[in-house]
Amino acid sequence: MKFISIAKKDFKELIRDRRGLMMILLFPLFFMLVFGFAFGGMGESNQPHNLAVVNYDKGATMPSTGEHVNFGNNLTKILEDSKYENTDVHLFNVTQTTESDADKKIKQRTVDAELIIPENFSQSVVDLITATLQQSSTGTSTSTISSNVTSTIIIRGDTGYIAFGVSQAILTGVLEQYKDKIVSQVQNASTGSLGVDSNNYLQSKVEAIPGTSSFTTFDFMAPGMMVFAILLLAATVAVALTREVDRGTLARLKLSKMTSLDLLLGGLLPWSLVAAAQVIILLIVAVLVGFHWQGGLYTLLLAVFVGIIGGVASVSLGMIIAAFARNDRQAANMAPLICVPTSFLVGAFFQLPQVVIANIWGQPFQIYDLLPWTHVLNALRSTLTFGGGWDTIAYQVGWALILTIILFIVGVVLFSRNRLRAEN
Amino acid sequence: MEARDLSKDFGDFRAVEKLNLKINRGEVFGFLGPNGAGKTTSISMMVGLLRPTSGQVFIDEEEVQTIEKGTIGICPQELVLWDHLTCKESLTLIGDMYEVPKDKLTKRVQKLLDDLFLTDKADTVVTQLSGGMKRRLNLALALVHEPEIVVLDEPSEGLDPQSRRVLWNYIRSLRDDERKTVILTTHIMDEADRLSDRVAIIDHGKLLRLDTPSNLKKEIGGGDVVEMKISDPEKNQEAINAIQELEDVQSAVEVNGQINIRALDAVGKLPRIIDKVESLELNVVDLSMRQNTLEDVFIDLTGTGLRE
Repeated sequence: MKFISIAKKDFKELIRDRRGLMMILLFPLFFMLVFGFAFGGMGESNQPHNLAVVNYDKGATMPSTGEHVNFGNNLTKILEDSKYENTDVHLFNVTQTTESDADKKIKQRTVDAELIIPENFSQSVVDLITATLQQSSTGTSTSTISSNVTSTIIIRGDTGYIAFGVSQAILTGVLEQYKDKIVSQVQNASTGSLGVDSNNYLQSKVEAIPGTSSFTTFDFMAPGMMVFAILLLAATVAVALTREVDRGTLARLKLSKMTSLDLLLGGLLPWSLVAAAQVIILLIVAVLVGFHWQGGLYTLLLAVFVGIIGGVASVSLGMIIAAFARNDRQAANMAPLICVPTSFLVGAFFQLPQVVIANIWGQPFQIYDLLPWTHVLNALRSTLTFGGGWDTIAYQVGWALILTIILFIVGVVLFSRNRLRAEN
Repeated sequence: MEARDLSKDFGDFRAVEKLNLKINRGEVFGFLGPNGAGKTTSISMMVGLLRPTSGQVFIDEEEVQTIEKGTIGICPQELVLWDHLTCKESLTLIGDMYEVPKDKLTKRVQKLLDDLFLTDKADTVVTQLSGGMKRRLNLALALVHEPEIVVLDEPSEGLDPQSRRVLWNYIRSLRDDERKTVILTTHIMDEADRLSDRVAIIDHGKLLRLDTPSNLKKEIGGGDVVEMKISDPEKNQEAINAIQELEDVQSAVEVNGQINIRALDAVGKLPRIIDKVESLELNVVDLSMRQNTLEDVFIDLTGTGLRE
């Protein structure tokens, strides 16, 4: 079994080159630390978003009781009091101010978003309540009521600013919730649950906001980052293999009875261990800097397994690169040239437009699905972000495995053709 | 081993031109030539690492590309070692790659370590070996599978006299005790002279001479070489012309600013040579005399110009 001798040799070389090994293992550590801090808010996942509220609401009179109400103030109070689910962290730091001051603050980015409550806001809420009451008592639909007043709440901000994007998404959620709560509260009231103070009711109920989960940008990006880091392993492998060419040791092996399969299968074993180590380090560091995932230890272990498949695919890619690079410098330059665009193609940074090329087992097969890392990433997202178990990722893992094996075979053939025959 | 019309072009550059030679079983065959003469290219083609542009190489009438792997062992010019493996591990790895049976391999590795004085360093990683030890390990790696043909590409490059002696003795024992065919490229004349049964001198990719060292020396001229320095080296050519007019002087050439004169029984002719030089109003500053060497043959055939 010549490949076992090669595996032993590669393993010894890896372990004994302490400095090289250290760099290989430190890379995922620093990589995840940097991304964790950049997108995860220094490990603090839930942070209040700065919000300027411009309240023009003039209030309205409830037709049933004659009571003067101001739903604008009510909404502002709710925004001030709302907290992240199961935490004491407020969703917003609310500043009540004028429109011009709010606009100025948006430009200075001292606030993330500006909420403008129109002067007829209370009136429109009163109309909504009236309509709801009428509907529940007469069964007519709200659209038939002619006196319905519509108000528009404006969420203003710098659309190119990521904090605005996050804030406006949460705000939209809160406003939807607010409207729904009013309707359900009024419906409850009309069916006999009288005596409930609407203000208090709304306040206490809206506090917990499902849908604005505790996930940060980092949590959504982490699987993509992991795949990116795993892909870069191809560079390390390519350099290690071309060094064998450059140093002439490959010529020694070439004269022997060793085949391309022996060499690459032998190399695959220790490098897969490296891939496993990198994946584990990536996950541990991610968790330490505040990565949130679903499904507990089980999905984390699944992620390690999936990540290793991605790592093996990267090792195979490294072998293909080594079949073309003439020396380790070329390999080091060629690898990013291939790995970085590949990580974009597999969607490590953002979703690419759909390009379906076939339908397999009723599932659309996109052009990106030809790359094993696409499936690795899909599986990582399914399991870590959405808490899916083995059943949900089996399809993706199957594809990742098949494509990895194909990639490895391509590597063996190319390496044999380009590196193990007599040179021209 | 036989090369037939072996040529190799690298673009427009012809590194080897129609090389024809036969190497006999059990001989030490020396490949002699200046740097860049095409020695390594020829060797690479002969062992099947490099594809010739034209021509063929046969080993026992079988083409080199189809011979059983393991027939040839090559010790490259550069140190080709795995830095992080020990001597023993390196040798065992290569043995495994040639499918040498385990028990045989263990014995073979031990013998090589003993023969090449590496036993103490068996478990030392390559990075901690001295230059000479690395060279010896480099050689051992070419022999671990007991090849029929051993190719040594400038094996004593950078070796101290002690290590060189160990190496030379070992090369002789390969031929005498193990009946191996050894192909040796070198530009160290002494090495080729002492070790080779036959020597091929090549330059500019062409085979210039192929014969035994003693025949080559005879061909160029027997006798002694007088090395002379005169007071005004700029007049070397003038002095050479004058000396060549003398009877019994076989040749006079300028080598490194001095004049090399070859003549039979040079001692008896020295007074006349000195007279001749002094008649040109030149003084002899330094004078020495030695036996004709292969280096003289080499310089005679390939000239003194740099090749690179």
